[in-house]
Amino acid sequence: MPEVLTFDAVVVGAGPAGAAAALALARAGRSVVLVERGPFPGAKNVYGGVVYGRVLDDIVPNWWEEVPVERWVVRRSTMMMTGTQSLSVDFRTDAWGSAPYNGMTTLRSHFDAWLAGKATGAGARLVASTVATGLVRDGAGRVVGVRTDRDGAELHAPVVIACDGVNSFLAKEAGLLPRAEASHHTLGVKEVLDLPHGAINERFGVQDHEGVDMEILGCTREIPGGGFLYTNADTVSIGVVVSLPQLAASGVRPEELVADLKAHPTIAPLLRGSSLREYAAHLIPEGGYDTMPALASDGMLVAGDAGAMTLAAGLWLEGVNFAIGSGYAAGRAADRALAAGDCSARGLASYRTDLESQFVLADHKRLRKAPSLVLSDRVQQRYPGLLCDLAEGMFTVTNPTPKAGGLKLTRAAAARYGVSLRQLATDTVRGLRIFG
Amino acid sequence: MTGPDVLPGSHVPAPQAGDGPLVVACLRIGDLRPAVDPLDGSVTRDRWGVGLPPADAAALEHALRVSAAWGGRVVGVCVGPRSVEPVLREVAALGVAVVRVPAADEADAHRYVTELADDERALARTLLAAVRPFGPPDLVLCGDRSVDRGTGALPAYLAHELGAAQALGLVALQPNGPGALLVERRLDAGWREQLRVPLPAVCSVEGAGVRLRRASLAGALAVDGVPTPVDRSLEVEAAGSPTGDPGSVHLGPTRPYSPRTRVLPPPEGDDPRLRLLALTGALVAHDPPTVVQPESAAEAADVLLDFLVRHGYLDAVPGGGVAPSTGDPTA
Repeated sequence: MPEVLTFDAVVVGAGPAGAAAALALARAGRSVVLVERGPFPGAKNVYGGVVYGRVLDDIVPNWWEEVPVERWVVRRSTMMMTGTQSLSVDFRTDAWGSAPYNGMTTLRSHFDAWLAGKATGAGARLVASTVATGLVRDGAGRVVGVRTDRDGAELHAPVVIACDGVNSFLAKEAGLLPRAEASHHTLGVKEVLDLPHGAINERFGVQDHEGVDMEILGCTREIPGGGFLYTNADTVSIGVVVSLPQLAASGVRPEELVADLKAHPTIAPLLRGSSLREYAAHLIPEGGYDTMPALASDGMLVAGDAGAMTLAAGLWLEGVNFAIGSGYAAGRAADRALAAGDCSARGLASYRTDLESQFVLADHKRLRKAPSLVLSDRVQQRYPGLLCDLAEGMFTVTNPTPKAGGLKLTRAAAARYGVSLRQLATDTVRGLRIFG
Repeated sequence: MTGPDVLPGSHVPAPQAGDGPLVVACLRIGDLRPAVDPLDGSVTRDRWGVGLPPADAAALEHALRVSAAWGGRVVGVCVGPRSVEPVLREVAALGVAVVRVPAADEADAHRYVTELADDERALARTLLAAVRPFGPPDLVLCGDRSVDRGTGALPAYLAHELGAAQALGLVALQPNGPGALLVERRLDAGWREQLRVPLPAVCSVEGAGVRLRRASLAGALAVDGVPTPVDRSLEVEAAGSPTGDPGSVHLGPTRPYSPRTRVLPPPEGDDPRLRLLALTGALVAHDPPTVVQPESAAEAADVLLDFLVRHGYLDAVPGGGVAPSTGDPTA
C-alpha cells in the first residue's frame, strides 16, 4: 500500500497560480500542500519579463515594498521593424515609477519563491523536488488526490488544483484539457544577457530602478510572432515568441531568430558588449478564450497556464497576473466548496463565475478575436514594412521635389507590400472592434 | 478536516550520544555553478543555485548505507548561511540529524568561516566541535572535491584532528566486519586498489558510483518549514595534538577497472569531418605525454617544477629557486 497523506486541498505547481491558490486556502484556515517539481519554487520557470502587480493589491498589501523587483517599467515601446528599418511608439511616464507602480521586471526564481513564501508563511505546506505523476480517483471517478514520484506516495484531498503549467498532464488526465493543439501554442525563446547597470541606464534612457519594456513586430522572418526586450537590474532579456506549427514548417531554428533580432541595427547598439548568461525556451498557451479547457470537474480545478490563461493580444502580453488572479480565485472557490461540503464540479462552479466577474476571463472574452488578427499574415508580414516605408517617405526630404502627401505615400507603400486600401480599412475596423 | 493525518512527529533525531556507531557526513553546501573570474580567480556565488554537490551527495549516501549496516546514526554537519537550510532540510528528511554552523554573513563571531576555503584546518575543527554533542565519530565522510574552489584538504585536516585513519578519493566503500571498512580507489590506467581502513576513519568519496536516495513524502513534509539546528556556541580550541593515533591502512589486491560509458555533448557544425575531428581531438596540437621515473621525492619535485617553469607557470629565479609566474603562460 502506498503511503497516504491527507489534506483539505492539494495544489500542484508552485508557480504564481499555485502559490496564490495555496495562499488563499491557507488564509482560510485550510490544510493545503503545495507540490513543486523543481528544487524550489521558480527553479525551472521561464517567462519574458513583465509582471503587472495590480492583481497583488488585495492579496499582499503594499507588495511593492517587499517584492523582489529588478526594475519598475516606466517606458513601454512598441516597435515595428524590417531588416533595415524600425518605427517605435515610445511611451514614458513617471507615474509608473512610484507606488503603486504598474509593471516590473523580475526574475521568476526570485518572484515565485517570494510568493510561495507568502503561502507557506500563511500555513501551507510545501514539498519540493516532487512530481505529481497522476490523479487518484475514488470509486465514483471523482478526483480525490494525486500520486507522487516519492515511492508512489499519495496526497489525498477533496480538491486538487492543477497549476502544473502549459500542457498540464493532470488536466489532460482529468479530461479537462484536450490533446495539445500546436496551433494554440507559441514557443517563446529568450536569452538573458549580462550588461552593467549603468550601461542599461544610459542606453535605454532610464535611471536607478527604472526599466523598459519593448515589444517588437516584424522580427521573426516569415513566421508569425513577435520579439521582446526587457531590462533587468544588470541583465537584459531579449527573445522572440513564434507560432509553433509555422516555426516547425519553416525549418528555422528559434535561436537564429534571436540572433537576427540581436543583430538588428536598432537593437545591436543597445546590447554592445553584453555576454550571454542563460538561454531558455518555453511553450506558451496563446489560443485565448476560445481554446480554454473546462475549468472544473468533480474534485478538481485548473488555473494559470494549465487553463490557457495567458493573454496574448498584441498590445497586451500578460501571463503572471492572470495566473495569480486565477490561482487565488481557485483557492477561494475550493474553500467555499469545502465549507459547503460539496467539491463536485457543481460545488466548484463558483470558480468560473468569479473569474468572469473579474479581469481574468473578462479580458480574455473581450479580446478573444485578437490572436487571429495579431497573427494574421498582413499584420505580421506586411504592415511592419508598410508603416516603416510610410514613415521613411514622410521624413525623407526630397528637395527639389515637393513633399508627397500622406495618402500618396500610403498608397505607394501599400502597393509595395501588396495591401489594398480596402484591406487596410478592413483591418483597421477589425482592430477597433477588438481593442476599442 | 484540520490537517494531515500522517506526519511523523519526530522525524529528525535530536542530538544525543550513545546510540550506536556515529557516522558523520561533512557537507559543503553551496552554489553548484559558481562564477569564477578568469582573471583574479574570485568566486561569485548565487544563493538560488545552492545545492548538494555530487561528491557530498555520494558521501551522504555512503554514510546512510554504512550506518544502516552497523545499526548506527548519521549526523550531517555543514558551515553555511541561512540560505543552505532548504538543502539541509532535504538531508534531514532522510532521517539524518543535521546541524548548521552559521557563516559570517549572519553577523556572528565565527570569523574563521568567512570563506570556506580560506582556512580548512579551522573549518575542520569547527565541524568536529559541532558534532561533539553526538559523541566521538566512528567514521567521517566528505566529498573529495567541492565545486567552488575548495582545496580538497579538509578530510586530511579532519583526520589529523581526530587522530583517525584516512582514505581519500574513494569510489566504493563498504563495512568489512566490525571496526573496519573495505574501500576502493582509482589508480592510473583504469586499475583500482582496495584498502582496508580501520576505525575511526575519515574518508572522502568521488561523486560517482552511488546516487543519493530520495526522502519519503512523509519525511519531506515533516521537515518542511522546520528550522535546522544551528550551533552558535562553538569555540575553537587552541592548537593541540591530535586526539589519538591513527590506525594503519592496508592495501589489498588490485584489479582492472572497467570504465562506464560517458555521455559527451554533440559537436557543433554540420560538416561530418569537422564533427569527427571535434569528437576525437585529432589534428589538435598538443604535447605528447611524458613518463618520468625519478628515484626520489626530491627528484620528482624537481621534475614537476621544471615542467611548470618550462611552460611559463613559474619563473626561475637566480640560485635555482622558482617563483609564481607574472606572465601569461598561454601567451
